[in-house]
Amino acid sequence: MPLPGWVLRTSFLTSVSIAAPWLAAAVVTTFRRQARIFGCIATLLSILACTALVWRAPNGESLYETLMLLFSSLTLGAILLLSRRDSGTGTIAEILTLLGSTLLAYSTGNLLVLLGAWILSIAPFLWASWFGARRWRPMIGLLSSSFAIALAIGFIVVRTGVFSIPHLKGQSPGGVVAFALLIVAVIFRKGIIPAQAWVADAAESGPLLPTALLLNGHFGALLVVKLIVPLFPETDHRFPVLSYLAIATAVFVAIRALAENSPRRLLAFLALSQSACILSGLESRTAEGMTGALVHWVVVTVSTVGLFGILRLLEVRFGENLSASRHLGLAEHAPRLAVSFAILGLALVGLPGTLGFCSQDLLIHGTLTTHPLTGLLLPIATAMNAVSFFRLFTRLFLGKRRTGFTIAADALPRERWVLAATVLFVVLGGLFPNATVIEHSSGVDVVDQASFPFDNLNRGKGYADKNSSVQYPGPKSKSSAGLEVDGAEQRPMGVYR
Amino acid sequence: MNAFQDILIFVVATPGVIFAVFGLLWMMDRVPSERLLSWITGLTFAACTSGVAALVWKIASASSITVTFGSWFAVGSYHFPLVLMVDRLSVPFLALAAVLSGLIGQFSATYLHRESGFLRFFLLLHLFAFGSLLAFAAGSFDLLAAGWEIVGITSVFLIGFFERRPAPVENGLYVFGIYRACDIGLLVGIFAMHHWAGTASFESGFPTLTGARAVVVCLLLLLAASGKAAQVPFSGWLPRAMEGPTPSSAIFYGAISIHAGAYLLLRAQPLLAQSMLASFLVILIGAATAIHGTIVGRASADAKTSLAYATLTQVGIVFIEIGLGWRWLAMAHIMGNATVRTMQYLRAPSMLHDYHQMHSAIGGELSPTGKQIEDMLPERVQLWLYRWALDRGHLDTMIERWVVAPLSQLSAYLSGRDRTPVRSHTTIRPGRAVEVSIAGPTERSH
Repeated sequence: MPLPGWVLRTSFLTSVSIAAPWLAAAVVTTFRRQARIFGCIATLLSILACTALVWRAPNGESLYETLMLLFSSLTLGAILLLSRRDSGTGTIAEILTLLGSTLLAYSTGNLLVLLGAWILSIAPFLWASWFGARRWRPMIGLLSSSFAIALAIGFIVVRTGVFSIPHLKGQSPGGVVAFALLIVAVIFRKGIIPAQAWVADAAESGPLLPTALLLNGHFGALLVVKLIVPLFPETDHRFPVLSYLAIATAVFVAIRALAENSPRRLLAFLALSQSACILSGLESRTAEGMTGALVHWVVVTVSTVGLFGILRLLEVRFGENLSASRHLGLAEHAPRLAVSFAILGLALVGLPGTLGFCSQDLLIHGTLTTHPLTGLLLPIATAMNAVSFFRLFTRLFLGKRRTGFTIAADALPRERWVLAATVLFVVLGGLFPNATVIEHSSGVDVVDQASFPFDNLNRGKGYADKNSSVQYPGPKSKSSAGLEVDGAEQRPMGVYR
Repeated sequence: MNAFQDILIFVVATPGVIFAVFGLLWMMDRVPSERLLSWITGLTFAACTSGVAALVWKIASASSITVTFGSWFAVGSYHFPLVLMVDRLSVPFLALAAVLSGLIGQFSATYLHRESGFLRFFLLLHLFAFGSLLAFAAGSFDLLAAGWEIVGITSVFLIGFFERRPAPVENGLYVFGIYRACDIGLLVGIFAMHHWAGTASFESGFPTLTGARAVVVCLLLLLAASGKAAQVPFSGWLPRAMEGPTPSSAIFYGAISIHAGAYLLLRAQPLLAQSMLASFLVILIGAATAIHGTIVGRASADAKTSLAYATLTQVGIVFIEIGLGWRWLAMAHIMGNATVRTMQYLRAPSMLHDYHQMHSAIGGELSPTGKQIEDMLPERVQLWLYRWALDRGHLDTMIERWVVAPLSQLSAYLSGRDRTPVRSHTTIRPGRAVEVSIAGPTERSH
């Protein structure tokens, strides 16, 4: 039986994907029963709606739909990975609230809605005092970012009177002040130097899986992709500051991780260092760098949620005071957790055969093209991260077997399916990257459309990179009428999604 | 696609497929018996060896066999070429990898019988064979780097094979660190080729680079090659790698992995020939390594470490030959060294038995060799050299003092700066051991 037309309308599907988790959160909070089941059903509905959105999206304009699908799928995985002791109604409700607000932020084209989604995404963490004893730095980081974006949006709206992001494209609304405030918001939300410390504090004292989801919403990168790049093309010469800070963060945090013994903090540092690379890739404004950044976004998100999930499963089984200061020999008790941990971690730092290898390859090429000297720091940071990760892996899983455990410690079937799906994603994505890379190359067009028409590069004939003699061919994109056009000059102005 | 192209794909892909299949079966709780595993391993490498024999036969009459799959991924002007290529340089290495992997598989079936990591060893052997065959059959430096990294990671996991003892695990970590640091040279070198020459593919001629650009790329590749081949100043990882099981030491550090660096330089020979500075550095590093290896090897107390330094000495000489442009001599040297060392490593656990047999056969002890050179030196120099050799040329000490310690101190300093006092009494401080408990009471939220 054919579906009625309104069911497949973009606005309806978007509403379903956002409303389902929020509704489920309300139901769970009210009835306080079967929280995991309600959570799974709502997340599944979101996944279905996002899948339909990806399917419905015009060719080459499915970046945000893909990210929505990714985040809702990861949320489902996180809910399934939650141990019984962690899956209280409060936690599930807050995860669902986070899902709804993240999807809202990804999908919206309105400044005020974006601000609302931004604040809603951090509300559960502030409301429930999840960060406990160490909460002041996460609180300050998250609140400062919200304050900065609120000021920036307020400034833009007061100066232009326009709320619609597509209508503000290329106009540098709010000028340097708004631009600077948005950069500050990115710095605080993403944990870029000098605001990097809150991320590790949040991971150490907060609930692991919800914190992993909060960090992997990548709202900072979203702000760059959604507002900074398209709205402020004339600030090209100031934008690299963010890239330099991102690379400095990647290196600083990688060094910091070398002597860290708390697995939670160490994983948070690795996630932060690797995700900082996303910003430098986006700023490179080369096709390789931007595509690499978007693929890396996916890799970091999937890998770190998986790694945090496995770490939490270990904590539940072996106690919460795990440390990387000596060998714990957990692999003999939990071999499948160990293998999944190794694969996801090595994917995060770019092991060949995983999607991380492709994203690192593209990122390094893109960043080195634009910044030959500072870009060199990126592979160095990645190498240090690899060493830190391997140290964590060897300390947690290798060494003398612990005696006295009589419980089944390896992954349960429910957990095994989630981990297998995560591992298969990064491995199959690495073996057949074209599906992912091409998808995100299309995403690059979406990001590019706003910025490149306004710089003076003739992309129709191949544009010259700022610091190199290499000529890049102008990508093809589809106009709103679905016609294929070459080069940026012919692109319609209002097709930003 | 002709039959030889199919054979090339089969040779490279088969060990990878076997690894994937057995890995997935293990994830689903299906563990094959030792007999089945060794039988399939034997069959796989027998098939690969036959395939390589066919390739050798073809290469005798054709200059190369190339299989082009297009791009692994392509973005803008950049693409990752997926090209397999066999020529007269790579086919001996392919033969070496296929034959020795099969040999080691058969040897290990007995050697590791009823060892708890039997399946793990064979999985890693297949993954290693896939990585090395991919690296040697790559038609571009991009693909070579992928195989190179796979060889590195399997090497590290096999060093830590006996995971219950801390020493192998820690040594594996050290080797991993050296590999990752030196692989930066390969990654940046490949980027430089793409940036300056537009390609890193060598299936239809080497990327054209001249002058300073050629020197920079050569130096970056030399860094990667030196790390993989344990050349000075990175030689310290080689004796640490002997913690792995003997069969893996034989194939990695007697044959394939240790010579992969030389293969990289042989592949980059057209570029090296353009750069006097790089060639000189290759010779210098090779000479330093050969001298280092022969001196330190004389003070080594155990059989495997002695063999490791003997291998290192020969690889140093191979580097000299490459630097001088004696390509075919280097190839012959590599093949000879690899096969002899593999045999010696595999016999190392039975060395005492072998010596007893020899002594019985000749009716006395063998006359010691190699002592004459150091006897010619003054006693004080001998003593100084002995101390120097005992600390393995101070190379590990230098890396520890000048690289690891400053980084650790910086990291610890930063750690002290960004930690905040908390009310919790379970703060884990760096450097302190913390007992693992079974889900004790906690003040941390989940």
